Amino acid sequence: MGVNLAVQIGDMEMKNPVTVGSGTFGSGEEMAQFFDLSRLGAITTKGTSLGPWIGNPTPRTVETPAGMLNAIGLDNDGVEDLIENKLPFLRQFDVPVIVNVVGKTVEQYVQVVQRLKGVEGVSAIELNISCPNIKAGAQLFGSSPEAAAEVVEAVRQETNLTLITKLTPNVTRIGTIARAVVEAGSDAVSLINTLLGTVIDIEKRQFVLANKCGGLSGPCIRPVAIQKVYEVAKENLGVPIIGMGGIMTAEDAIQFLLAGASAVAVGTATFVNPMAAVEIVDGIEAYLVAHDYTDVKEIVGVVQ
Amino acid sequence: MSLTISSGEELVELPGIFDCEVVSQGRVMDGIFCIMLNCPTIAKCVLPGQFVNVRVLDGAEPLLRRPFSVHGVNPGMGAFSLIYAVRGKGTELLAKKRRSDIVSVVGPLGKPFVLGDNPEARHVIVCGGCGTAPMVFLGEMLSKKWGADKVTALLGAKNNDAVLGSVDFQNYGAKVSVATDDGSYGHHGFVTELLSERLALPADGTRVYACGPREMLKEVARISKQAEVASCQVSLENHMACGLGLCLGCVQKHVQPEGKPEGWDYLRVCTDGPVFEAEAVIWE
Repeated sequence: MGVNLAVQIGDMEMKNPVTVGSGTFGSGEEMAQFFDLSRLGAITTKGTSLGPWIGNPTPRTVETPAGMLNAIGLDNDGVEDLIENKLPFLRQFDVPVIVNVVGKTVEQYVQVVQRLKGVEGVSAIELNISCPNIKAGAQLFGSSPEAAAEVVEAVRQETNLTLITKLTPNVTRIGTIARAVVEAGSDAVSLINTLLGTVIDIEKRQFVLANKCGGLSGPCIRPVAIQKVYEVAKENLGVPIIGMGGIMTAEDAIQFLLAGASAVAVGTATFVNPMAAVEIVDGIEAYLVAHDYTDVKEIVGVVQ
Repeated sequence: MSLTISSGEELVELPGIFDCEVVSQGRVMDGIFCIMLNCPTIAKCVLPGQFVNVRVLDGAEPLLRRPFSVHGVNPGMGAFSLIYAVRGKGTELLAKKRRSDIVSVVGPLGKPFVLGDNPEARHVIVCGGCGTAPMVFLGEMLSKKWGADKVTALLGAKNNDAVLGSVDFQNYGAKVSVATDDGSYGHHGFVTELLSERLALPADGTRVYACGPREMLKEVARISKQAEVASCQVSLENHMACGLGLCLGCVQKHVQPEGKPEGWDYLRVCTDGPVFEAEAVIWE
């Protein structure tokens, strides 16, 4: 076709700029029934903690206008299970794996990353810093530049793998957090994580979610996500941005690239259309061809 | 689990995504509709207890697919049907579909009912309200496999006008008993009272299958356990987001003695269910 879709995030080479949002793709086994996982630029795992996390009671999800709230509670089987059961399945495919890591203390993040040292099939670490720091009154790590940087610094010392830090939009200035995590050693940033939201049942007069509040995702957040990507791009931090938030189609994804993202992640869209991620890969290629571009990098950050 | 079937020349990986033409849509009773969709692959492969995830419109609002248990199949016609109640935006839109409209369907999904391997066993189907819909399909399969004389259907409804499916069960030759809350037809009371009566006869070897409101399922589980039936399977309806096993939204507390310190784990209703052995469900 003559169009180069490959992008480089740190040392990780993606054959195209599309990965999947952590927590929206299961372990990959369910999705392998729909398409060849090798078609993706990368696969991002569910948030992985040191020991298993049971997650929140139900209801864990609720639909909202053009979106949904989730309060899954980072339900996962822990890093040992990831290494033993999940990674071997993904290694069958020609696709880099980004392991998303969660923790309730800095030490927990460090221990997970230590455990992943030398494990075959791990191409990058994505730090989910939207976790409550139990040593700081359950404030999210990602809501303060200092706390965010502390996690990144501690993890940076443990790994040479590409280190991506995933940013939460529930902050005063995302650019400040981005700068802090890059200065602390991140090779890339990914954004946005979900927006905090809630739904109240007016007949029962109680919250619909058992956890009361949850994370908003889907098309309704897309304009916020694109603006945040643009805001971080303007900081000129010199590292690639993986953009995400409500991407349903290639047209949506291209907005993120134009705003300054080098790659994108497709999340909630997969629930609605299991083929979304691969259709988006094809759609980005078609756009580049139609507009006489030969390399996807040509459109990154073009809108100033 | 994926299943590859040969459909003529093609090998189709299941579950799949299918654009299905609407064959018919009709009102069954107040607020309850039956839609028949053309999809030879699903019609041929779907099993009782499985469901499909339906996209009710092409846009983003409402966003998510709606899950429906399969009510019946007509493999000769290459079609399957769903019976559903109009409860909100999604089902309202589905009810507006007309013949020859195209609807995107993902399926078949979930684990089906297990029909057992004992030719002497008796099978008792318990349904409440709209829960009857998938059980008609189950009744048909049980009758075909084990003989209609082995199958009994117990139906519960608010009143005489709300009784769903009794004719369908009778068509297969199954014995049908009805309970209505207001006594306007059949037994005056709950369908679980009919189950108690039925299981008062020697019940070992009996297999119970239930679908309906959660309180009904809990009671069916309790009665069945007391009667020491061979199996009691329930179809759960926990609220779903993806329906594909990806998001972990629809989880159900379930007994899990191995490897879990508390002795239980969260299982996905969409993938590990929706059919579960009632004994292992932690009801709360």
